[in-house]
Amino acid sequence: MANTLRPYLTCIRNTLTAAMCLQNFPCQEVERHNKPEVEFKTSKELLLNPILICRNEAEKCLIESSINSLRISIKVKQADELENILAKKFLRFLSMRAESFQVLRRKPVQGYDISFLITNFHCEEMFKHKLIDFVVAFMEDIDKEISELKLSVNTRGRLVATEFLRQFT
Amino acid sequence: MADDEDNGSSVLDADTFVETEAPAVIIARIEGKSRQVERLLRIPQYTEALETALMDAPTQTRDEQCKAANWILVHRVLMATKDVDGLLLGLNPELHDVLMKYLYRGLATGDRITCDLCLRLHEKLFDMAGIGCIMRAISDTQNLV
Repeated sequence: MANTLRPYLTCIRNTLTAAMCLQNFPCQEVERHNKPEVEFKTSKELLLNPILICRNEAEKCLIESSINSLRISIKVKQADELENILAKKFLRFLSMRAESFQVLRRKPVQGYDISFLITNFHCEEMFKHKLIDFVVAFMEDIDKEISELKLSVNTRGRLVATEFLRQFT
Repeated sequence: MADDEDNGSSVLDADTFVETEAPAVIIARIEGKSRQVERLLRIPQYTEALETALMDAPTQTRDEQCKAANWILVHRVLMATKDVDGLLLGLNPELHDVLMKYLYRGLATGDRITCDLCLRLHEKLFDMAGIGCIMRAISDTQNLV
C-alpha cells in the first residue's frame, strides 16, 4: 500500500540521520587494527540499541549502529513464490558486486534479504545526507524493479506459450 | 592497561545494575495506572491518558514482565486515540523521549495496524521533538523501555 510507504521511508530516513554519527575508532582489543565495531560486537559500550522498523509482517528494516559503523538490513516484500525467486536472484546479483557499491555487504544478515555496511571512512569520503538518500532510494526502487521483472517474466511466458501451442491448433 | 584483563565485563553488566524497586511493586503501580487510564479514556481525555501511561515508565528495572505490562498500557491508549494530531500537541515535552522509545518498541512488533499507527506518530513526534529525541532513544542502553 502506497499510503504506508511514505511514513515508512520517512521513519527510516529520520532514524538513519540520527544513527549515522560515525567517527574513527581504532580497535580496542588488537593494536593497529581498525574494525567496524557493529560487525564484531566485542565491546558493549561501543554499540547503540538496534532498531527494528516493520512496515507490516513481511517488510522490515533493522538498523544497528556503533561508534564507527552502521549496518542496515532490509527484508523486501515477497508476495508470492515468483517474487521470492526474483528477489533472491536480483539481490544476490547485487550483493556479488558489492565492491562497486562500496556500502553494500556481500552477504545479507541472517533473516534479511540485503544488508548495507556504512563505516566512518564512507562518511568521510561521501556526504552523509547523500548516503541516506541512496539507501532510501534503493528501498523505493527495489519494489519497482521486482514488479517490473515479474511483469516481464509473465509477458515472456505468455508469448512463448502462445507461440509453442500455436503449432497444435 | 594490559593487566586490566577482566574477561570483557564492563560497567554495563547486569551485576552492577541496582534494582531500586521490586517487580511486584512496579506491577501493582502499573495496575493502578491502568485503572486511571481506562477512566480517562472513557471521558475521553486521550492526552492525559497517554501522559499517565508514560509517567514513571519501568525503565530502571530489568524485569521483562513490568516492561511488557506498561507497553500493553501505552499500546491500549495509542490504539484508542481517534485524533492522532491533537494527541501529541498537548503532551508534556519531558515525556517525548519515553514515547519515542515506545514507538520503536511498537515498530518492532510487526503487527500491521500497530506499525501503521506508530509510523504516523513517529513522523509527527519527530517534527515536534526533533532529531535529538531519536538520538536519545537509540543511545540510551541503560533505561530500556
